[in-house]
Amino acid sequence: MNKYFSTKTSIFIFAFPGLLLFTAFVIFPLIPELIISLQNHDGFASSGYVGIKNYIDVFQSSMFWKSNRNTIIIVLMSTLITLPFSFILALLLDTQTSGVRRFFKASSVFPAVLSVTVIAQMWVAIYEPQWGLLNSVLRAVGLESWTREWLTDKNTVVFAIGTAFLWQYIGFNMLLFYTGLKSIPRTYYEAALIDGAGPVKCTIKITIPLLQDVIKYLLVISVLGSMAMFAHVEVMTLGGPGGIARTIVYQLYYTAFMTSEFGKGCAYAVIFVIECLIITLIINRFVARERIEY
Amino acid sequence: MKKKLSKFIIKVLLIVLGLSFIFPLYWMLNLSFKTKSEVYVNTFGLPREWVFTNYPDVLKSYNFFVYFKNSLIYTVGNVVLTILVGSMLAYCITRMNWKYSKLAISYISIGLVIPVQVVIIPLFIMLRQLRLQNTYIGLIIPQAAFALSSCVLMLSAFFRSLPMELEEAACIDGCNIYQTFFRIMVPVIKPAIATQTVLLFMGAWNEFPLSYILVTKEAYRPLTVGLANFFLQIGVTHWGIVGAAMILTSLPTVIVYLLGSEKIENALTAGAILK
Amino acid sequence: MSKILRVLSVMLCIILVLSLSACGSKSKDTTSGNTDNNQQSQQTEDKKEENQNKGPVKLKLLTISSDESRQRIMDEYIKPNVGKVLPHVEIEYEGTANVADKMKVYNSSGDLPDVWYSGADFALPIINAGNQLDLEPYMKEDGYLEKFKIKDALYFRGKIYAISSGADAYFNPRIFYHKDIFASNNIEVPTTFDEFVEVCKKLVNAGIQPIATPGKGGWAPGFFLLQNMIMIEDPEVAQQIVDNKTDFANPVIKNAADRIVQLAKIGAFGQGAANLDYGPAKELFVQNKAAMYMMMTWELPDLEANVPDLDFFLWPKASDKFDPNKVVQYWGSPLAGYAVYSKSANLEDAIKLAEFCCEQDALFFESTGSLISFNTGNQMAELKPIQKKNVEHFENTTTRIATYHLNALDTKCATEHSNLGANLMTGDYSAEQFVEDFNKVWLENTWFD
Repeated sequence: MNKYFSTKTSIFIFAFPGLLLFTAFVIFPLIPELIISLQNHDGFASSGYVGIKNYIDVFQSSMFWKSNRNTIIIVLMSTLITLPFSFILALLLDTQTSGVRRFFKASSVFPAVLSVTVIAQMWVAIYEPQWGLLNSVLRAVGLESWTREWLTDKNTVVFAIGTAFLWQYIGFNMLLFYTGLKSIPRTYYEAALIDGAGPVKCTIKITIPLLQDVIKYLLVISVLGSMAMFAHVEVMTLGGPGGIARTIVYQLYYTAFMTSEFGKGCAYAVIFVIECLIITLIINRFVARERIEY
Repeated sequence: MKKKLSKFIIKVLLIVLGLSFIFPLYWMLNLSFKTKSEVYVNTFGLPREWVFTNYPDVLKSYNFFVYFKNSLIYTVGNVVLTILVGSMLAYCITRMNWKYSKLAISYISIGLVIPVQVVIIPLFIMLRQLRLQNTYIGLIIPQAAFALSSCVLMLSAFFRSLPMELEEAACIDGCNIYQTFFRIMVPVIKPAIATQTVLLFMGAWNEFPLSYILVTKEAYRPLTVGLANFFLQIGVTHWGIVGAAMILTSLPTVIVYLLGSEKIENALTAGAILK
Repeated sequence: MSKILRVLSVMLCIILVLSLSACGSKSKDTTSGNTDNNQQSQQTEDKKEENQNKGPVKLKLLTISSDESRQRIMDEYIKPNVGKVLPHVEIEYEGTANVADKMKVYNSSGDLPDVWYSGADFALPIINAGNQLDLEPYMKEDGYLEKFKIKDALYFRGKIYAISSGADAYFNPRIFYHKDIFASNNIEVPTTFDEFVEVCKKLVNAGIQPIATPGKGGWAPGFFLLQNMIMIEDPEVAQQIVDNKTDFANPVIKNAADRIVQLAKIGAFGQGAANLDYGPAKELFVQNKAAMYMMMTWELPDLEANVPDLDFFLWPKASDKFDPNKVVQYWGSPLAGYAVYSKSANLEDAIKLAEFCCEQDALFFESTGSLISFNTGNQMAELKPIQKKNVEHFENTTTRIATYHLNALDTKCATEHSNLGANLMTGDYSAEQFVEDFNKVWLENTWFD
């Protein structure tokens, strides 16, 4: 039947506008970047080709590895902590009365709809060491020794920014899990209960396998989302102090625009896109049973 | 008894977390009614002295209504264009007998990882050559191009879940492909489109880097660029005004979200999303 | 099947054509100056034709809106008055807090505004590309140059690339303090750095934050803190940096960085100082939460209006080579101010617009009680006591050292200088490390090339 519809003209008409739009305005501007990454370019003008020197410089700079480390920390936080946590939240939500459910569902996506600037500024106020909410609460409950200068202490700054970032999207993840749960027919659980399976066993044997698609989708989206984290870092600490909180994309921006090494910044961009492609390949390869198109 | 207690604890936990999610709203509202100096003495408590002049001050110093109109035009244009083009492409990829559909979807998904900052200068030059600079369409098109990836990926997931019988029936009724798509398929995935609309709306309304660089005339600026001017400035200490500006800027997204959240949820619960 | 291939190949062709056309123009823009000029002159001709047809002259003005002063100059001075001076000109305004990024994009696309607010951090590449006009001949011709009291301050390598009221050249960093807090804690104004450290310790013990100064992004250490820590030991070294006669391995600089670390370690800057924004830092001081405030004097008028017990003291000396009464750092850079696009289609009007903006700039700063180099013809307003004290001290100094951050560092160097400077304020980054990290960048500084 599809063959009847799928004439070459109709395929062209359906696919062409989207592909053209995407190619012309997203892929095509990458070509000059690729070229510039081989040049010594200050953002204003080029002073000639330098081969792969920019790439060598990038790999030799300690900031590249530091920013990669920070990015990996955030990716790990989002996959190992946020995803399981939002999954558990979804399970817990299922046990509650409809009033609680409605309130929680309605509020959960709220942080994700606000602009990053607003959210990040709020977290700056929360982390402020002297009158910020976090330290005030810690002091009030007698945990004075736990207070920190969250955004300037090199041991906490990445985690502090990461928390703000993940908190913003935890509710959205939760909602996707929850709606996934709701789509699993009740009869499956009833059958399992008759067989004498407990709630934990039910979750492992029924829920997780049936939610595979949701899990895969969220995994890809959160990994790529945290790889590309930028605005939170910029608003909260400008990547600092001294650049210790930079992510790869912030380092890219810093190099291309702030220190005006545009050529090197483009090299960062090329490396970053390749990293992301490798990561998605890995996810597709090892996590998905069959290849998924996220 | 034990069960009841644990249920109660979970309830408290969820309510506390839920409250934390709407905390930003409280924070912004609260700021917007404070005096310049109170913000530093009493950051999170309710205002001791309520000030109502912050809102008029913002409206005065910030071309709010012009920016608002621009934001609305950009956002609506972006949503319409992305949904139209995206749903067609997604349909083609998932439902048509196209040899390159797998390649196409991999290709489109590259868009998820391209940082806007890197391509902005070539994009600017291109728009200038196309004489689209400082026109509404000149920002709508690149924004839509960047929003396309996630839209196509999500809609593809929806289309894939639909039974083949839909098209067969349409075919028997004598519909051609275009009628089938617009009269039958689009209405069927309406919940998905509603979800995408809300997500795209949020994304487009809050979009910053493209609008900041590509729009060079004040008359064409969207709200986010106006809001950024309150933050980036050196020397501005008046958080009350910043709070009011944030409220005014976020209001439309909050409203759309409240109107649309029920729809999103229904759409997602329909279970179609990732099958 | 074959049709799909055909479709694909058509698409590919279109993409190729698109990419070739843009690539071509890109390389023209970036590689050879000649073709670039041709292209531009063609554009200018186009523009001229357009103008003759349309009537009013169209000019594009890009101004800086990074602070309240700049915004007020734009909204209250330039916009309402420009019609009176240039009635035949229609101006397209753009205000931005980040002129550098905007100019990068405009410069790359060859679409520069007619007039913009130039800055030391990004002017060199624009000048090198031949896009920033040398205003000197025009200013000599129309007599505008005569309105400046200090003409030397306008010149950069013998040419005038940007004009401003010259208020910048009178701004200098001060240590403001609350007289009441000092009095109630029995603190004398310190004159040596060791005394200064003692004062900070005393305040910390009394539970008062000693100093407020913005550390986020390395603002204060980048622009004046490190420079003054150098100057209090040996002003000559700061001058040598401006003249490219020393490097950062100089022991005086290491000692200077160490002084910041020392202050940070005793908690003199307060908690989280390395991430403290400009606004909150000022507010800490205004609201009596910090005893001292290290800041440039452009904040002085506002401080004097809002802080009843305000005073300032001179930088405490770390050796006898420094005489606080004779030596001062000043802010200005000859590259900061209104600049004109050398290939503007309406050069005459663009120059007039720049001169007009500069004059408005002067009127604004004059109204706030700042000293300016530009002669507006108005009588100087009566100064308030602390402002007067500041002006008198400044005028009595004999050695005025330019801000090296604005007058000796290229973009990369300046950015890294601030970035690493912020580290010093955390207290867990040593002066040795700073010297090691920054000297590498300094040795590649291209400012003096």
